[in-house]
Amino acid sequence: MDDLASKSLLPNGLRDGLPPDAAHEADIHNLVLATFAARGYERVEPPLVEFEESLLNGAGEALALSTFRLMDPVSQRMMGVRADMTPQIARIATTRLRKAPRPLRLSYGGPVLRVRGNPLQPDREFRQAGVELIGAEASAADCEVILLAFEALKASGVTQLSVDLTLPTLVPGVCAEMSLDAAKVRKIRVALDRKDAAALAAIGGQAAGMLGRLLDAAGPVEKAMPALASATLPPGPAAERARLIAVTEVLQREAPDLVITVDPVENRGFEYHSGLSFTFFARGVRGELGCGGRYLAGHAGEPSTGFSLFLHNLLRAVEFPPPAKRLLLPPGTGEAAGAALRAQGWVTVAALAENAEMAAEARRLLCSHFLVGGSPVAVASEGEN
Amino acid sequence: MRANEPLVMALPKGRILSEVMPLVRRAGIEPEAAFDDPSSRALQFATNISNLKIIRVRSFDVATFIANGAAHFGVAGNDVLMEFDYAELYAPVDLKIGRCRLSVAARPDLIKQDDPSRWSHIRIATKYPNVTRHHFAARGVQAECIKLHGAMELAPSLGLCRRIVDLVSTGQTLKENGLVEVEKIADITSRLVVNRTALKTRSEELGRWVDRFREVADAA
Repeated sequence: MDDLASKSLLPNGLRDGLPPDAAHEADIHNLVLATFAARGYERVEPPLVEFEESLLNGAGEALALSTFRLMDPVSQRMMGVRADMTPQIARIATTRLRKAPRPLRLSYGGPVLRVRGNPLQPDREFRQAGVELIGAEASAADCEVILLAFEALKASGVTQLSVDLTLPTLVPGVCAEMSLDAAKVRKIRVALDRKDAAALAAIGGQAAGMLGRLLDAAGPVEKAMPALASATLPPGPAAERARLIAVTEVLQREAPDLVITVDPVENRGFEYHSGLSFTFFARGVRGELGCGGRYLAGHAGEPSTGFSLFLHNLLRAVEFPPPAKRLLLPPGTGEAAGAALRAQGWVTVAALAENAEMAAEARRLLCSHFLVGGSPVAVASEGEN
Repeated sequence: MRANEPLVMALPKGRILSEVMPLVRRAGIEPEAAFDDPSSRALQFATNISNLKIIRVRSFDVATFIANGAAHFGVAGNDVLMEFDYAELYAPVDLKIGRCRLSVAARPDLIKQDDPSRWSHIRIATKYPNVTRHHFAARGVQAECIKLHGAMELAPSLGLCRRIVDLVSTGQTLKENGLVEVEKIADITSRLVVNRTALKTRSEELGRWVDRFREVADAA
């Protein structure tokens, strides 16, 4: 027994997907990717492992601390296991697909691995599914991806969705404009990350005062926008604010059932983002369902945006589908007969040996029905799942 | 957790509670009678607000309940927030109560000939191992922390270690145990703490409570 137990122990943050959860996750994965495909986002499939220097280049740099490394015994070069797929898609778009017409719409889905989870989300391996829209500066691109994420989440069955919009360049822009020294900027950053109004006020100065007002403004869009609109911003952040205003108007019109909040000073999780970014939440569900935003792809710095949905969190936000109707077929059932039943929507399970008690056998194999004289009969209720 | 369930407010047991309750009451929240009944063993309490209930837990657990979304908002000192540094916690309002300091203290006779610039490693008894490690790491010193849950002041006199990191308000407890405060790590006050997801998804109702507590704290 000890031996069995020790074999079943997995490393921290990793787990086995079992029935029916594994099938459910795969269904949702396929469903969101189909939603992306229907809007012209074409699937790409990057490798799980790449050379470290290309994986952690550009947008990937922020992920260096989260990336597992291993030595390639063949090339003797260091490789990294992807911790996020976005930098890989940006690499593909700006290298092998550099001649493809812009804007380029790509979609992707697959597992990522991180060195550590956090105390609240211990998962180290999880599945991402997302899109990237490469070479698109217009605010219409931001609207498109946010509305697409909303559509995909709704299609998966998530209700009471809200999106939090943020401008990751605003705080650095304001600090640079007021030419604050690095130590002070770091203190401001920590205070803002903790949303700690008292710590921010204690730092003092014009920047802290203004950021403090923006911190207080975070909340429902109706409350946050006037405060944000009246703030005096340097040109870079001001342009992003104009984008935020334009995008908010479209979202309010096109997605009236989506709750919009604005948090101008949010930064955590947006280390490589260069403009308007967003996070999706569902009421009562712990953790983010997905996030994304603007970044610069490749050496040429193509303006791009996109998002990833986090399947492990998404699964917590959706109702489980009713169990499939499983039908136990007696031994010797012909292929054609089985196929006809499957065509009617049955999941068929073949009994491999004769059994006098087919009803009991069906219950033992978690089937809801068994076949009597060619037609399905429900298993008595105590055996139903 | 599902949609229209009541909001849950987590309050810390003990010392701070007597300072917190006047603010809570001024914000218009009145817990049921059992809350003030010392013989009651209840942990959850209804309030005069139909959609709001209160839980009373240890101060470190306030942060854990709220970070995990099991409570939506509550009151915690920034000592607790610094120790956990949960990304899911927001601390939008300084309630300006529970004022004290998080400090390093030591027995003067044991550290008299000590030269801090030569340290590579020190032993410290504390309830705050993360804060302590960070604080000393910032000056290139490795802090080996002995985690205690209380009665920190005993540790140096019994030879467990030479220093402790703990909350200090008047300094009386330190003095009684032959310790002196040698360095302040941070000023501490209690904060109104909010769960990030709850603030984003129930921003209207939680935003109202945040504003209410901000008014009450500013008026105090």
